[in-house]
Amino acid sequence: MKFAAAGFAAAVVVLLGFLLDGYHQGLAVYVAIYFIAILGLDIVTGYTGQISIGHGGFMAIGGYTTAMLSHYEHWNLLLTLPASLAVTFLVGVLVGIPALRLSGVYLALVTFGFAVSIPQLPLKFSKLLGGSNGLHTAHSVTHLWLYVVSWSCAGVALLLAWLLLRGRTGRAFRAVRDSEVAAASSGVALPIYKTLAFGVSGALAGVAGSLLVLATNGFAQPSEFGVLLSLQILIGAAVAGLGSLWGVILGALFVGLLPSVSASFPVIGSAHGQDVVFGLAVIVIMLVLPNGVAGLLRRFEPSFKTAIKRDPNTS
Amino acid sequence: MGMKGRVPAVFAGVALVAAIAVAAAFGAHRADPGISGSTITIGGTFPLTGPASLYKTIPAAENAYFDYVNAHGGVNGRKIDFKILDDAYDPSKTVPLTQQLVEQNKVFAVYGSLGTAPNLAIWNYLNQRKVPHVLLATGDSYWGFSAKKYPWTIGFQPDYPGETKIYGRYIVQNMPNAKIGVLYQNDAYGKNYFAGLRVGLGAKKSQIVSQQAFDLSAGNVTQQMLALKASGADTFVILATPTPAIQAMVTAAKIGWNPANVFLNNVSAVSTFLKLAAANGAKVDGIISTGAYVDASIPEESNLAGVKLGKQILSQYASSLDPNNSLTFYGLANAWTMVYALKNAGKTPTRAGLMRALKNLDPKKAKNPFLAPGVSLKTGKKDNFPLEQVQLIRWGGGATGNWNPFGKVYGGVR
Repeated sequence: MKFAAAGFAAAVVVLLGFLLDGYHQGLAVYVAIYFIAILGLDIVTGYTGQISIGHGGFMAIGGYTTAMLSHYEHWNLLLTLPASLAVTFLVGVLVGIPALRLSGVYLALVTFGFAVSIPQLPLKFSKLLGGSNGLHTAHSVTHLWLYVVSWSCAGVALLLAWLLLRGRTGRAFRAVRDSEVAAASSGVALPIYKTLAFGVSGALAGVAGSLLVLATNGFAQPSEFGVLLSLQILIGAAVAGLGSLWGVILGALFVGLLPSVSASFPVIGSAHGQDVVFGLAVIVIMLVLPNGVAGLLRRFEPSFKTAIKRDPNTS
Repeated sequence: MGMKGRVPAVFAGVALVAAIAVAAAFGAHRADPGISGSTITIGGTFPLTGPASLYKTIPAAENAYFDYVNAHGGVNGRKIDFKILDDAYDPSKTVPLTQQLVEQNKVFAVYGSLGTAPNLAIWNYLNQRKVPHVLLATGDSYWGFSAKKYPWTIGFQPDYPGETKIYGRYIVQNMPNAKIGVLYQNDAYGKNYFAGLRVGLGAKKSQIVSQQAFDLSAGNVTQQMLALKASGADTFVILATPTPAIQAMVTAAKIGWNPANVFLNNVSAVSTFLKLAAANGAKVDGIISTGAYVDASIPEESNLAGVKLGKQILSQYASSLDPNNSLTFYGLANAWTMVYALKNAGKTPTRAGLMRALKNLDPKKAKNPFLAPGVSLKTGKKDNFPLEQVQLIRWGGGATGNWNPFGKVYGGVR
């Protein structure tokens, strides 16, 4: 069942690649980018229970890694992606260290500080990082290139996340989320699994950041990675419902497409109108669907299944 | 496959051939994107919301001018359709919005987009696609100096370092003993300005007794102002965007620092901003800046044809705009230049034709009525700076005052 769904999703993505024109391919790229970032957040927050509102910071580091490797070293853009994956994995592990002592709202504050301070670095080290004028990659790519690469990355990320979460590691993550004391007394090494979750999560966000820079014509600029970006990822995860891999695609569609879809509406089409829509969406979802769209589906699942089971008897 | 299948197949084949033939026939004379028999579609990104939203006056004034032109026959019979999108001065929004303009709305040209960082973000993209990226609302010198590498981009206003060079030269000539204090924004914008000032001062740059950089994100300039006061400077040069510039003027008064001469960069020297500063206690009389456009708030200029025409256009097509806000005449002057270039871009305008027209502005023909007396449009083979002259102006009359031009028109601003 799950493999059929995955195959179907892959077929849709490939088919859309042929059907969409350049502009809509560009939009689909944003969906893939948010998909990867939200997936990353979901691993650390949804599965491991460590709250992060700082994933924009990882995206900034990933994005600047790509921009710098291309700008100064003229790397192939495709090769910059594993590089930014490695860098942001390490940074993620480092950010995970405070999580060993902090939890809940205190950890959220630390990650928030991370998200706020990282985009300030390019302003401080403007010679190297381009300051407020940003840093350009040496080459830029076509919509099709981006579409293929970003959705391939999304597919690989989903596969890796699934492999990671289905086995021993995933069980350990969930045990940490549900009760740290119980997990520790069952032999789960908290420091290892907490920092690992942050590392994997940060690495995915970093790749998303690299792709975001490529999607904006290879232009890395501090305001691309403002606090709002971190919040958008969080909103995407909330819409998706934490702890559900399939909900992530809905969250990514919401965050990735809202700006361009709402552009044709009069009031909410303005840049700040979108922010209002995002804010309202969070309030509504928290009130009505605390477990996101995935939670909604899950709620119907049992009755749905029993209905199918009963079906032969009633007919 | 039997006979039943063959008929539709043959029909489809014929239809395909016909379609290709028709496409080829039209293709031979196909106009550039954004050009139809009755319209020319152009578009740009502007901060309609957010911290820089004071500038939303500019696209509104530009649109008013296009409406006026459309009501008077358009550009060789075609009406201008100007798409204004809101990027809130955030380059990460500028990119997808510009892609939308080019790929979705199929604009003929990206016109007037505002801000240095937003324009840097779309610079490569538009030049790769050979889409005109013209009359940008930013005074950085990249646009003019990089014309070889970026042939589809051209700026508009006098550039920033050129402007401060003039302040430097003016100080050397008129206040040779000045002790100079400089407040500058700690980014490319502020540093470019400062570099120009040092060039203009030449050997006198040793008279800079204090130079204070501030970060836009810091939220205020109080510390820097206290340091400037303590340095004993008597000549104060402000190189900042409007909000910190207003803060600097107000803070100077609050901390009791009264430098004898104050220079304020043109971007922040909008009359609305000075009135706002004065209303908050700043001493604004005597502040010196530069202007390149006619100014409806200057009594001596009220009889100029450009001022009269501008006021008439604004009252008819954008009655909510205040003609005394100098950004309106900036917009009118910029839009006039676009219309002039479109009219000279070929009978059916082409993108290449538009660039050719903008790079060959002849001051004898391109008489822009919205430019200050003595200032004219000029570009040529090695000159990609449309405006290179400015008029010195001095503020008088406090919170209800206005700018007054003085001295000669300075050229060679770049």
